Amino acid sequence: MTTKAEFLGRIRDQVRRTPGLFAAAAARRPQHPAAEAETIRRELAERWPETLEAFRREFESVGGVFYKVGSVDMVPAVVARIAHEREAREIVAWHSSALGADLAPALGARGLDVHQMPAAEPVGAAERERLRAIAARADLGLTGVDLAIAETGTLVLVSGAGRPRSTSLLPPCHIAVFDRTALVESLRQVGVVLEAWHGDGTPPARGAVINFITGPSRTADIELTLTRGVHGPKDVHAIFVEQGLRG
Amino acid sequence: MSDGELATPFRQRAGGAMKDTFLQEALTIATTKFIGLRREAFAGFPEGEALRDQARAIKEATLQDLDRHLETLIANVERLGGHVHYAATPAEARSIVVDIARRTGARMAVKSKSMATEEIHLNEALEAAGVTPVETDLGEYIIQLAHERPSHIIAPAIHKTKGQVAELFSRELKRPAEPDPEALTRIARGELREKFLQADLGITGANFAVADTGTIVLVTNEGNGRMVTSLPRVHVAVMGVEKVVPSLTDLMVFLAILAKSATGQKLSVYTSLVQGPRREGELEGPEEFHLVLLDGGRVAQIGGPLREALSCLRCGACLNVCPVYRQIGGHAYGYTYPGPIGILLTAMMEGTPAVKDLAHASSLCGACADACPVRIDIPRMLIDLRREVDERKIAPWTERVAFKLLARLLQHPRLYRVAVRAGRLLQRPFAGSGRISRLPLFFGEWTRTRDLPPVASRTFQERWASDRDLRA
Amino acid sequence: MTGRHASLMVTCLGDLFFPEVGVSIVRLLGKLGVTVDVPADQTCCGLPLFNSGYHAEAAAVARRTVSLFKDSEHVVVPSGSCAWMVKHEYPGLLANGALARESAQLAARAHEFSQFLVRVLGVTEFISAVPGRVTYHDSCHLLRGLHESQSPRTLLGKLKGAELVPLTGADECCGFGGSFAVRLPEVSSQILAKKVANIEATGADCLVACDAGCLMQMGGGLTRKKSRVRALHLAELLDGDR
Repeated sequence: MTTKAEFLGRIRDQVRRTPGLFAAAAARRPQHPAAEAETIRRELAERWPETLEAFRREFESVGGVFYKVGSVDMVPAVVARIAHEREAREIVAWHSSALGADLAPALGARGLDVHQMPAAEPVGAAERERLRAIAARADLGLTGVDLAIAETGTLVLVSGAGRPRSTSLLPPCHIAVFDRTALVESLRQVGVVLEAWHGDGTPPARGAVINFITGPSRTADIELTLTRGVHGPKDVHAIFVEQGLRG
Repeated sequence: MSDGELATPFRQRAGGAMKDTFLQEALTIATTKFIGLRREAFAGFPEGEALRDQARAIKEATLQDLDRHLETLIANVERLGGHVHYAATPAEARSIVVDIARRTGARMAVKSKSMATEEIHLNEALEAAGVTPVETDLGEYIIQLAHERPSHIIAPAIHKTKGQVAELFSRELKRPAEPDPEALTRIARGELREKFLQADLGITGANFAVADTGTIVLVTNEGNGRMVTSLPRVHVAVMGVEKVVPSLTDLMVFLAILAKSATGQKLSVYTSLVQGPRREGELEGPEEFHLVLLDGGRVAQIGGPLREALSCLRCGACLNVCPVYRQIGGHAYGYTYPGPIGILLTAMMEGTPAVKDLAHASSLCGACADACPVRIDIPRMLIDLRREVDERKIAPWTERVAFKLLARLLQHPRLYRVAVRAGRLLQRPFAGSGRISRLPLFFGEWTRTRDLPPVASRTFQERWASDRDLRA
Repeated sequence: MTGRHASLMVTCLGDLFFPEVGVSIVRLLGKLGVTVDVPADQTCCGLPLFNSGYHAEAAAVARRTVSLFKDSEHVVVPSGSCAWMVKHEYPGLLANGALARESAQLAARAHEFSQFLVRVLGVTEFISAVPGRVTYHDSCHLLRGLHESQSPRTLLGKLKGAELVPLTGADECCGFGGSFAVRLPEVSSQILAKKVANIEATGADCLVACDAGCLMQMGGGLTRKKSRVRALHLAELLDGDR
């Protein structure tokens, strides 16, 4: 079997053999990504309504359903409505610390069965199984949003403690709650934020996956006919909270 | 289609494909649709052209330092708790994956769509080792049930009708299935959901790997990529060495143009940045993450004539615009990768003799180079392959003699004039009505379907030499 | 406009099969005050050899062509593919030889016919030789090799007595591809059949192109089908003022 040294050695030999096809450089990375990300945040804070409008347009064009509410205590009513439309009752949700709000009591009061994912890592395989089964059984998955990209209508979700991947993946309906602090305009800005999270900035969580979600799961593999909800959710809803999530 | 069909010359396979009426209809509809979607996406995206140039430059810059970027990638993957393996050949890659499966006690593996795993024929090796591979991308799932290979890089089952899929599901899954895409998708969702939840092993490819951060990037639409990398205990990603990009900033350049080129979407539904196995505090995610770096003929091209082909993003845009692919579909090419880029990749992976016919499966129209998001000059490399086929005497001697005769004729005007007179003589029995509709021997290849103008009774140069009034 | 000199590179297909195209070009340029010469003993630009991978042979033919035209001020080429060969491939093929400078010069001085009229002479108005509807096919080398889609359309749009109608898939290959047409004749013919269907759907009387190979392919398909659509080179169509 080829060793690492042999493998890389062959590549090195080939690379040395040729100057290449033309003078070329990789993209220029931000020198101080955290500072640049902060600048982006500040600038966006001034024009969040336009950014939100652009997001709404793109999100809807990829099949997402958008809602805007004034304050966080209006969110449970929207969630309940979505649930009733589907005759659904079981919700699996990110932990309140990850959501940015404790919605479980209000949702429970509306007759919904809310299973909050724990903030701490489950102890033992049996517990993991149990939690996975909940996610697999649930009708709705309720999450927060780390970045909402206006250019593409994309929700970016970082995995981690209290914010498992399955919440936005296993249930047939995904509901995401966010506020203006998540808004970014473009993929380029996202690049700066990602560099910041990786470098000297602070990521929202420290899970191993960052998921970019652009609308409901889809395929056109059969006769190029578009169908939704292949493996992931069939519906994606985004609820924007104008007055913000965290207090 | 098994590799046994390679015994059939390419031309016969192409002919067969053109007689398949459903395939013809499917190809026209699918390619036309993809072309329109891609065009629309870039029409509304003026930054697109500059980003394509930048993407091309990033790929070239990365190759110029590939060993260093891979070292950075490896160090970061290992820092995150992942393992990296080195596969010089498809056989080594298969062996590495099978070993991981055995060691971790896997009995069933769910697979996200990966051309690299198709290329190395991984599924057969897994089956032989007692591990059941289950394709989860709907198109791949369909062709797996049908025991076929993909016919398009991003839409593997595009050659099948919904009726054929329904029949396939009924037969293989032993349950009734209506010929309706929604209903069929629901069936697949149900069947595969169970597999995702039970599988021990998840196998993917990787669209990109970010060296700086040790991130593997998966671009999908269905959600199976996320399932496969979150639910099973072990995740194995098989990736060609050329997929590495230096940084997250570089990654965003590619993400901005990849989905647009492939399907016209601004982004695919799911772009997953996977950084190693599950971390502390996480409910889900694999306990083990393995990255299998694959050479398989790629490394030799870093300093070789097909170097530019290493920039390929596997978007399929060149297939959709290729006049040849549009007539014959993917299976007729006879190898894992079809279409214009497929010919180059096949040469890379199987050697030039393998493409002695395929190198001519092109009218050199250049539509592929135009559509390619990273501006790969495919026609140039096809001509280079043809040259290699001639210089290495892989082309038949009759052809080589004919071309050398032609070259001689074109360098000696007297021979040229003799040939013209001979042509006029020989065509007499055929040039009755001012056009030739039938010619014998090899020339019949043209006249079977097209007329030919006869060699003029006076060529332009003959007229110029003798017609005083023309020169006045 | 007077005082200009141009050499005509008639091309092998033009010389052998479409001499009337060369005649039209000489007439048209003459009327515009351009003195046309035709260097003797032309054969071919070498593209068929080049495309099939016989590069040493193509270079030998290229050297001959470069020598023939070394004193030309402008070289007019009635075929997009030949013009592309001369402009794009000759310099690379002959870079390391005695004719390197001359080949670069020829590359700069060679123009495809429609480009010569519009971009060099600045002349765009002609009288159509065939009244009625015309439709235009973009030859691959002219469109993608020489990045030219506008000059022919400008000429056709201003053509007196003709109405330009768009061709669906005008930028799609006709299926000629040189030896491709006889190496993979079934595929070439199916591509052609779709092109012919698109041409007939335009309702045009005349199909126009700027490449002899394309005209052989499409013309051959149209006459085989006994179509009423005539396939003409742009030069023939512009040559209406007789």
